[in-house]
Amino acid sequence: MTDTHTQAESAEARFAEVFQNLASIVRYAAARGSRDPEGIAAEVMTIAWRRLPSLPDDDPRPWLFVTARNLLMAERRRTGRQAPLDQHQAETPAPEAESGDPAVTAALMELRPADRDALLLVSWDDLTPAQAARVAGISPVAFRVRLYRARRRFEQALSAQRGGMNGSHTVGMEST
Amino acid sequence: MSRSMERLDRARPDIADTIDRNALFAQIVATAHDHEQPQMSRSNRRRLAIGCIAVVVLCLSAGTALAVTSGFHLFGWHTDTTIVKSPRAWQRLYRDATRQLTLPPGQHWPNRTLPPDTVTSRTQPGGTAVAISQTAWECYWVDAIRHGDAAAGRQAHAALDDLLAHHILVAPSGSPENVAPPAGTRPPFAIFASDGGIQYVRRMYRDAANGHPASLIQSCRANGPAGTR
Repeated sequence: MTDTHTQAESAEARFAEVFQNLASIVRYAAARGSRDPEGIAAEVMTIAWRRLPSLPDDDPRPWLFVTARNLLMAERRRTGRQAPLDQHQAETPAPEAESGDPAVTAALMELRPADRDALLLVSWDDLTPAQAARVAGISPVAFRVRLYRARRRFEQALSAQRGGMNGSHTVGMEST
Repeated sequence: MSRSMERLDRARPDIADTIDRNALFAQIVATAHDHEQPQMSRSNRRRLAIGCIAVVVLCLSAGTALAVTSGFHLFGWHTDTTIVKSPRAWQRLYRDATRQLTLPPGQHWPNRTLPPDTVTSRTQPGGTAVAISQTAWECYWVDAIRHGDAAAGRQAHAALDDLLAHHILVAPSGSPENVAPPAGTRPPFAIFASDGGIQYVRRMYRDAANGHPASLIQSCRANGPAGTR
């Protein structure tokens, strides 16, 4: 067996592990309002294969999510959707979080895009705060602060939603 | 976790994709991919260059200091100041060494590690691997002699000659115990003192090849696995 053949098999085996995350990328893109989440996921995987040596040896999801985010922003530019107002927001595609819970969806939509993304990376995308920090492009410490504030704001927004929906009482805040 | 966060988790949308995974996978891997290692950014390259310059300056300074204080210098045999203190680092160096060495057919490298609260030099794991390889081939040769397997005997002799030629060094006379060979010497290697030991080993292999294996058998009995020889 030649070295080249062995290298090709090894690359395919490595890529097969990366490819296991296809559904996660579809979900990531869909939860952030992509018009073609499956297309985004396929493109992410194509880039991952092309750039296989660049992928981190541990969990590749942060790398994949960053690539997906870049593609989402390109998709947004192509489709001429409203550009975010500031640079901070421009670095984070505004999630169009469609959840199965209307109150949760409404509370998420009240958050700043960066806060919303922080919550979703940890809650829906199952990343650790350290991994999510890599996706957000900030330090783990800064991400933890952002996540803490995002949770607090989300709880407040959800409480307001519940109060508004029930019209009678406000549920007390729980500590995180 | 708060109830709000639990509610957020539960609200995660179920997204069923319709992708034909096998077809997509096959389609992607059929395309070429970059085989080269990831390129470093300009800032990382600059940091690396500065680091290299700093290391060279440090080495030159250290070499001069060592030359003055001990008579050894970095570009020849010198005092080994490298340190390994983590078992994981030790095992990595040991594994790297085993990839450069051979064992007789059917044998496997034993698991070895650095005992806790121990410090050693970075060349020591390689020296351990060389010693394991040497003993294994010696005992394989003894077995070959006992079974009249001339081909196996020749194989062992060749392997041991290769170890002597490429992985066993002799320190200059009067060297301290923690001596290291000139920078650039490719590991793994074991270092013999200049006390006639290497000449004894060479004679032992020569004698065994000429039908006088008594010393070789003795060496295997002394260094090989207990109770098997």
